[in-house]
Amino acid sequence: MQQPSEEPERNAECSEGTSGEPTAVRQHESPPGGGVEPKEPLIQLYLADSIPLLWRSAHVKVARERLGVVGAAVGSLARQPRQNCRLSRPVQLLREEARFLLENGRAELVKALKPQNYEQEVQSYAHYLERNHEEQQKFALEEKKQVLKRVMEDKCKDGAAAPSSIQSVKDSLDSLESSFTFPCSAMMVQLCTARARFSYTPEERLWLSAELANPVDERQKVRYRVFSDLREKGYYLTSAGKFGGDYLVYPGDPLRFHAHFIAVCVPLDKETPLSDYLSLSRLGSNVKKTILLCSPSQTDAKFVHYTSIQWSGMV
Amino acid sequence: MDEGLSGNWMWRHPKFQELTSLDVADSSQLYSAFLVYLDLAEVRQWHEVTCKSCDNLQLIYFEGREGEGAPLQLVVPVQCQCLLSHQWLRSVLSLVSPDGSPHQSVLIVAVASDSSLVYHRFTDGFVTPEPPDHILNTGKRSGRRKRPRV
Repeated sequence: MQQPSEEPERNAECSEGTSGEPTAVRQHESPPGGGVEPKEPLIQLYLADSIPLLWRSAHVKVARERLGVVGAAVGSLARQPRQNCRLSRPVQLLREEARFLLENGRAELVKALKPQNYEQEVQSYAHYLERNHEEQQKFALEEKKQVLKRVMEDKCKDGAAAPSSIQSVKDSLDSLESSFTFPCSAMMVQLCTARARFSYTPEERLWLSAELANPVDERQKVRYRVFSDLREKGYYLTSAGKFGGDYLVYPGDPLRFHAHFIAVCVPLDKETPLSDYLSLSRLGSNVKKTILLCSPSQTDAKFVHYTSIQWSGMV
Repeated sequence: MDEGLSGNWMWRHPKFQELTSLDVADSSQLYSAFLVYLDLAEVRQWHEVTCKSCDNLQLIYFEGREGEGAPLQLVVPVQCQCLLSHQWLRSVLSLVSPDGSPHQSVLIVAVASDSSLVYHRFTDGFVTPEPPDHILNTGKRSGRRKRPRV
């Protein structure tokens, strides 16, 4: 059986290249300091109403293995849709992860393409379907002939079958060529689930042209400074919403390690009741993780202060 | 004799008077500090418990050893409802020990309104947690074993 998924996708990619728009964006997002060209292709970062998403599995792989950006899968698996234990693409990134990729020149923001004329692609797909239909019709006819021949042989061998039934089978075999119909609705069509793009209706185009907002308040700035500092130290970070913190800090890939720390990002001068620290540290001790208080330095733009809190357990 | 059994014995305790003479804290802080001192010296039987004060931070703190020859530790009593900033915690961590080196970690003792004490260790930097004692086997085999065999 042919692989129809390859052809339409390849055509679409060619049109992407010739339109020129992604290339223009790529030049704009070149890495700081000029000079060295990135050896790997840039990760394409799609925005769905300001939520950063990665759609292509190659980009998800590069982000996770080379850059330590993990994200969270939010799409359903095509072959196992009625469960949410194992999810698939797209991978949703934290705002900080998206900003980290963009600022380091490893990703480009893909905006929705302008409306294009896909008539040529539609026509070639229609031709492809016609050819497919003709081939399937031929094969179906051959198969039906074989079946009728086999029936006739069985009846002849049987001996007990009436000559009239043998004759009717022979008649249908002879008239098969003229009476055989293979409607289009009987045709097998392969539906590709490997597409990695939206359909670009006007509503979706509007949704996709949202901008990735720069951090607007103190909290987001603090979070981003802590994220980039921990990432540069080599830790892998995921969201820690279920532990009441900001990030879960892993010493390696989250699939291979348990988290060691729950990072809580606070400005250096923000006053919190001691009871809040106590509740965090008791939670941390219950889940075998250390609470890490992280505050960016107010004097040094690159430095972040870290304090570990552990319940002492002196009873 | 009645007087000795009433609450006033606390104010006459020599250690309490020593804390008062440091003249850095208000009465509620003095009370919390005294409770922590009693816990360290009498209940946990720490050695060489000395009380110190810091004028900058307006607090009383203790230094002591958990056992004979154990390293000197910094213990700071704080009332539960106090508001603290990360900056304040860093300043406490920068308090120096008698030999001149700063403490890497400090035991903050939270004193609740019912006089219960909770000890928490605050350390500069990253402290890897203890690994779990055993890995719980949640495989299907253990589940089948638990079902009663009829």
